[in-house]
Amino acid sequence: MVEYQRVLLPHPGRTEPVGLDEYRSEDGYSGWKKSLTTMTPDQVIEEVKAAGLRGRGGAGFPTGNKWSFIPKAPGAKYVAVNADESEPGTFKDRELMEVEPHRVLEGIALCCYAIGAETAFIYIRGEYVCAADRLEAAIAEAEAAGVLGAGCLGTSINVRIIVFRGAGAYICGEETALLESLEGRRPMPRSRPPFPAVEGLYRRPTVINNVETLANVPGIIDRGSAWYNGIGNPPRNTGPKIFCLSGRVNRPGNYELPLGAVTVRELIDSYGGGVIGGKAVKGVLTAGVSAPILTADKLDTKLDYDSVQAAGSMLGSASLIVLDEDTCIVRAAALMEEFFRHESCGKCTPCREGTSWLLKILKRIEAGRGVPGDLDLLLSLSGEISGKVLCALGDFATSPVVATVKQYREEYEQHINDGRCPYPAW
Amino acid sequence: MSLSGRTRDEIQALVARFPERRSALLPALKVAQREQGWLPPETIAETADVVGVPHSAALEIAEFYTMLHTEPGPTTRVVVCAQLPCALRGAEQLIRELRSELHDRDTIEVERTSECFGACHRAPMARVDDLYYENLDGEGRKALIAELTRG
Repeated sequence: MVEYQRVLLPHPGRTEPVGLDEYRSEDGYSGWKKSLTTMTPDQVIEEVKAAGLRGRGGAGFPTGNKWSFIPKAPGAKYVAVNADESEPGTFKDRELMEVEPHRVLEGIALCCYAIGAETAFIYIRGEYVCAADRLEAAIAEAEAAGVLGAGCLGTSINVRIIVFRGAGAYICGEETALLESLEGRRPMPRSRPPFPAVEGLYRRPTVINNVETLANVPGIIDRGSAWYNGIGNPPRNTGPKIFCLSGRVNRPGNYELPLGAVTVRELIDSYGGGVIGGKAVKGVLTAGVSAPILTADKLDTKLDYDSVQAAGSMLGSASLIVLDEDTCIVRAAALMEEFFRHESCGKCTPCREGTSWLLKILKRIEAGRGVPGDLDLLLSLSGEISGKVLCALGDFATSPVVATVKQYREEYEQHINDGRCPYPAW
Repeated sequence: MSLSGRTRDEIQALVARFPERRSALLPALKVAQREQGWLPPETIAETADVVGVPHSAALEIAEFYTMLHTEPGPTTRVVVCAQLPCALRGAEQLIRELRSELHDRDTIEVERTSECFGACHRAPMARVDDLYYENLDGEGRKALIAELTRG
């Protein structure tokens, strides 16, 4: 186990929310006070840049840079918080919002101040009723105390945060689809340019950040970028990260650790209590179902953005799904593809039609009705989707297929040659 | 007229919250759906009228999202996540058991979904209407079935 003082979720195991008084007693909103009384908006942006914070939603884009793209010209600007957490295997933002709502709000307020926005929308998936209720309660609490709202902490700065509840659509986590949804249109991705920093919500400059990303900001402002750089693996992998561990492990859950502090194996064994029944690992997905699977020979990969990428996958949202030796890889791939077929918004033909065909072929292989040539068909079909669509969903949709066909080809061939799945039913 | 006065007031209050009224459409449809548990065509049209957008704008929203229903459904929806993290922890067995225990209840529907609800660490799980029921192995499963079949 790594010696480490948690920053984002300092109360492991807690399910009740940390209220305003308790949050303040733990230095909550002191970064907010510090920025309003001693820092200019540009200094806030520079501090976030110096911290090296990278987006925790999946892409890992430098947050300070994103904020600095917002034009300085006067006029309305917006912050849109991506709380549409829907990637299979991901449940970190849920815990942050349910247990640490004020930390999230403080991060949003700091972002608003940095870019000169007075209104922020938290786009939260419709199923997260409890988290949305707690955020609204925390907003009311902070406004009543004069921390947020009109004239924050006695200054002339206004921050209005509005919770917007979605209604069940993974695509709303795609940032331009999220904006479309907020504007009351079908959540179908926009073509870029223009990028949201120039023309986002209501055609105004907009920053879109993930919940966990923003929850990192209060600590950076309060304790400084030098402190933040002492956590993790600088310069490109700084700060804490919540790792969502699920699948065939004894103790699934959220584990907050510095980036790069542990390997995949250490996370599974030391934190997750090992694989159920002492079985061997067949593979581990690191970015939910949206990036290539890491095979068992890659378990000593360090969990940070660059190390996982060097191993052939993506850290993404750091949602680790563990597959053991008894897991049928074809069935797992079919299930992941079922997700993408269901969640494809239908705007781009390659994704809309292609995900259906990928799923059909995977299902027939799993059922023992695969034919020779199916594997090449899966790969060529994937090549017709990836890179030929407006948003990343189409690319994500091919990765469970391409990676498993390439890395577990023998298992696929066994299904086709034997005409049956060698694994017991779920 | 199918929308109640209270629902109309609530929708109007939503419209006032946003810089552009069309933003209120999705929350408004959710409010409207509470009245009958689903969105009949006339409810969609009336919601559009209150928000102040074309009927087609409301229809294309109502038809897109999984939590909005354009057809009548059961009184109680039990939605079980069968996506990979849950499937690896007994989701399919949970679905089989719930269906066999609840098959004679016309008001309850057990639905399998490949959507993830962010409860992978407490799998298997089910959403019953708006509430999460997690860790549905053994005792949890029995308690849920008992709750659903009570009365």
